[in-house]
Amino acid sequence: MLRSDHILATVEMIQKENLDVRAVTMGINLLDCRGGGVAETCRRVEEKIGTAAARFVETCEQVSRKYGIPVVNKRISVTPIAFVGAGFDRHGFVELALSLDRAATAAHVDILGGFSAQVEKGMTATDREYIASIPEALARTEKICASINIASSHKGINMDALALIGQTVKDLAEITRDQDGFGAAKFVVFCNQPGDNPFMAGAIHGLEEADLVLNVGVSGPGVVARALERLIQTRGRENLRLDDIAEEIKQTTFRVTRCGELIGRKVSEELGIEFGVVDLSLSPTPTVGDSVGEILEILGVDVVGAPGSTAILAMLNDAVKKGGIFASKAVGGLSGAFIPVMEDAVLAAAAGSGALCLEKLEAMTCVCSVGLDMIPIPGSVDAATIAAIIADEMAIGMVNNKTTAVRLIPVPGKEAGEIVDFGGLFGASPIMPVRNVGKSSRFIAWGGRMPAPIHSFKN
Amino acid sequence: MGKQMVMSVMSKDRPGIVADITGVIYQLKGDLADLNQSVLCDYFSMILIASFDDAVTPEDVVAGFSHLPSATKLEVVVKEMEAPLEPAQEGRSQEVYVLTVQGQNKSGLVHRIGLFCCQHGINILDLATTLSRGLYTMILQLDLSHVESVDAIRTDLARCAEESDLHMVLQHEDLFKATTEITLL
Repeated sequence: MLRSDHILATVEMIQKENLDVRAVTMGINLLDCRGGGVAETCRRVEEKIGTAAARFVETCEQVSRKYGIPVVNKRISVTPIAFVGAGFDRHGFVELALSLDRAATAAHVDILGGFSAQVEKGMTATDREYIASIPEALARTEKICASINIASSHKGINMDALALIGQTVKDLAEITRDQDGFGAAKFVVFCNQPGDNPFMAGAIHGLEEADLVLNVGVSGPGVVARALERLIQTRGRENLRLDDIAEEIKQTTFRVTRCGELIGRKVSEELGIEFGVVDLSLSPTPTVGDSVGEILEILGVDVVGAPGSTAILAMLNDAVKKGGIFASKAVGGLSGAFIPVMEDAVLAAAAGSGALCLEKLEAMTCVCSVGLDMIPIPGSVDAATIAAIIADEMAIGMVNNKTTAVRLIPVPGKEAGEIVDFGGLFGASPIMPVRNVGKSSRFIAWGGRMPAPIHSFKN
Repeated sequence: MGKQMVMSVMSKDRPGIVADITGVIYQLKGDLADLNQSVLCDYFSMILIASFDDAVTPEDVVAGFSHLPSATKLEVVVKEMEAPLEPAQEGRSQEVYVLTVQGQNKSGLVHRIGLFCCQHGINILDLATTLSRGLYTMILQLDLSHVESVDAIRTDLARCAEESDLHMVLQHEDLFKATTEITLL
């Protein structure tokens, strides 16, 4: 029997606390779309996506209306495109990107991810052509997101790819200079990239996946923040200990995850395709009250970046996983708390005041999901320094057997402290200063591979 | 299988009412099918369905209750069912929604919602209300299986909420089950 207080708590969660399903992402295998040439392949790609996703957005909206829970983004992820376009040159990959963009527009999805490659051990000639195509491909498309896996706990870090990527990030920002380098916000570099992540820019449909699959990304920083405020108000700060707080986060995450599970199952049923995973990430939006940074401040640091921030984030991340994992049949993707600076108003403010620096963010990424995400840096920072920042983050993921990622935006012509605003879910933030610029080029110049850590040899 | 009867019992609340009522049914060799009870402001109310042998009449059942050595008076109504009833759960609609309504207490609130449901062909399966510090809360379980468009109901409900200065939320019951129950079917 449903209890009144539970009913009212759920109503509060949906109506006042920004609960939504952040993303329903349909994964589509494109390996069978390979034709004799670029044009033939593009035609098949558009045809397959068109058929697979014909009713996708409409069904998401229908289920969303029935349950009264907003599904904020409807997205598609595809097989990493470097596999689909094996043998193509950079122009061929740009054509593929344009074709994916047309398919995404026709399917009415918000974004399509999977313009990607996996090069953690070595690069083929195709992979190099793919990398060379990224700036133009992203500049000429509206809805395409790119990602590349350049490191893993098993294979180490591909330093040749890393050097190329440092330059690619610069080129991407430069080619979209009139949009403050927005192109770089659509490209993310990974270590241990999961093949079932529904969140962008890093969503791909992994090679290990079935032909079609549906993954769901839940959200809920606002719900967690309000639940904690209510707990502190009703029980009194002096009567609570940290383990009580962790317990509240677990229970709240359970409920949030269940909403995602329900929506995912119903959309899957309607479409007749397999339901993959729920990604438990606490994903903030620039909306006030929907911030991971705010949770950290509620839990006891006056400003994000102050000592204690990393420890609190570690507890938050763990409690989110514990609460969510029981709520869902299958959990996957990134599953943790995101700290994307531009997309989180409280983090952006802390970055602007100087309380939160790049090095502290790096430390925080050791204990949370993903990594250095949506961070605007001065356009003057050189490619080798960007590559070296990425290398540090990749090393954290590699050694700790976790997914880490980097999405830096070197804003052309702007310096630290100036504001960059991409609008919508991409948000706004003051540009963060980078210390010790130009001092890492000898390291990046080595190339080759950083060997995998000793604990990767478990056979 | 004999006959089914529906019984309604009301009394001032006290320990032992359930034992008394079911004792009467047991004495008459009745078989209890389904029951629902609640207590409101110290008053006990129960509705129950039981089957009896053909020889037993509603008057026999009422007589059984009147002979109880009870400290409180049980007010009983017994009716014989025209056709045997299925237990409620078996035919339960898939389109059960939960409507929550909150607002400042004033007369006519429940009537307003009742009228809304009536005008829209919505059956109220369950209704509970509470009053706390002037805030009146209604929680209704509604069967929307005969409704053509839930969207249209939401739109009309939003208008009704605005006109009557009430906060109303209509959500599918699956959502509440998902967020509060361990099993998710």
